[in-house]
Amino acid sequence: MSVKYIPVQWNSNKWKYNAIMLASVFVYLLIFIELTPGIMDNEGRINTQVHNARAFGSCAFFMLSVILCIGPLARLDRRFLPLLYNRRHFGVMTAFVAITHAGYIVDWYFAFSKSNKYEALLFANTSFSQVSGFPFEVFGIFALLCLIILAATSHDFWLKFLSPPVWKSIHYLIYAAYIAVIAHVSLGILQDQQNHVFTLTFVAAGLCVAILHLLAALHERKHGDAAGDTSGDWIAVCNISEMNEGFANIVTLSGGERVAVFLHQGKLSAISNACAHQNGPLGEGKIIQCLVTCPWHGFQYDVTNGRSPAPFTEMVPTYRVKLVGDQVMIDPDANPPGTFVEPVPMPITEGA
Amino acid sequence: MNTAEIILSIVNIWIMIGGVIAFVFLLFGIDRIDEDARGAYVFRPLLIPGILLIWPMVLWRWLRLEMGTENWARRHKPPRKLHFWVAILFAISIPLIMLLGWSARQTWPESFEPQRISLLQQENVR
Repeated sequence: MSVKYIPVQWNSNKWKYNAIMLASVFVYLLIFIELTPGIMDNEGRINTQVHNARAFGSCAFFMLSVILCIGPLARLDRRFLPLLYNRRHFGVMTAFVAITHAGYIVDWYFAFSKSNKYEALLFANTSFSQVSGFPFEVFGIFALLCLIILAATSHDFWLKFLSPPVWKSIHYLIYAAYIAVIAHVSLGILQDQQNHVFTLTFVAAGLCVAILHLLAALHERKHGDAAGDTSGDWIAVCNISEMNEGFANIVTLSGGERVAVFLHQGKLSAISNACAHQNGPLGEGKIIQCLVTCPWHGFQYDVTNGRSPAPFTEMVPTYRVKLVGDQVMIDPDANPPGTFVEPVPMPITEGA
Repeated sequence: MNTAEIILSIVNIWIMIGGVIAFVFLLFGIDRIDEDARGAYVFRPLLIPGILLIWPMVLWRWLRLEMGTENWARRHKPPRKLHFWVAILFAISIPLIMLLGWSARQTWPESFEPQRISLLQQENVR
């Protein structure tokens, strides 16, 4: 982003990430389809088409579960942050696996109808008024549509074009998609599953996703960014003794914006906490050579002016800082992105 | 025309409109609103599926950027207000749906002999 767009910005980390991801998918499908077909599958006799459909469908479910575990894990423990780095490639791969599942299903269960197979998919079961025998296909269609939208809008162009908050709002569809997949499986294959290895792994994966989101939400509530004291025109952030060299303290303004106040070389600077790329938490990054690095995808900004180093052109808003006694204060009115603000020197302490 | 045919017709029309918008946007519009896209052509086909799917949103954003009515402050305000409650709702929904599915599951005793509750259509004809 911010230099000319290319189809995919590859680097060695992305190659490694994708290689591990592809190898894992391959191994899963190999185990499911070739090595131990009886363990994960239905006990009844099924043909290759249905067997492949189940292999790809269950693979997509587990991939989606892993994707959804990465976010809360990274919030609970920063050591999981590297997994977040290339999550979009993971999502695109999941969409392709899910499309393959849908292809096998449509080309078997609905391909022999006199009608168009997609029409047959829509009218084959319309018992919407009952739980048992509910047309679970609609949940699958909805989830697949969500996954395709997410994959199709995963290029960095979309982030800049839609703006990070709009892009994020669209990509929250992943939660609706996962709920739909849970319903698709619960009201679909599990209604007839006799071998419960898949049932148990399905429940374990779903509960893992649910529990991690619950824990991360509670963690965020307990350790989240402090709300600033808004009693005056300036917002109190913290005491100067709470500032650490190279790091930030984050404060939430009354409008919901978050501001990261950094201490760098003994001087205070404040920029928006939201990275211009995906609104990642800049205040959780560390300053190296005057540049703070976003912990999500490594975008960098000069903390004095909120600008990325050339040739990049990303910018974030800056804020004015002042000291009142030993209180660090910021002006809640943001400066336009890229505006230089003179850093405020910290008072020299005795013995320093 | 049945409901399924109507739905598929709407999908076809939606994609056709998206195709026209993708053509115009990728050939002419994108260069006007994003300097990073100028002179970059190889990545553009990757945007086609997204435009086909969410073309009303593409039109809305294109218009805003063309008219210069974009509010820069909004770009730095991620949607986090409902995070907590959405996470709670999401976490609760998963086991509830699983339970619903499990409760609807029919388990027959081993001695159960399936009974035909209606004749096949061909047999009815005879």
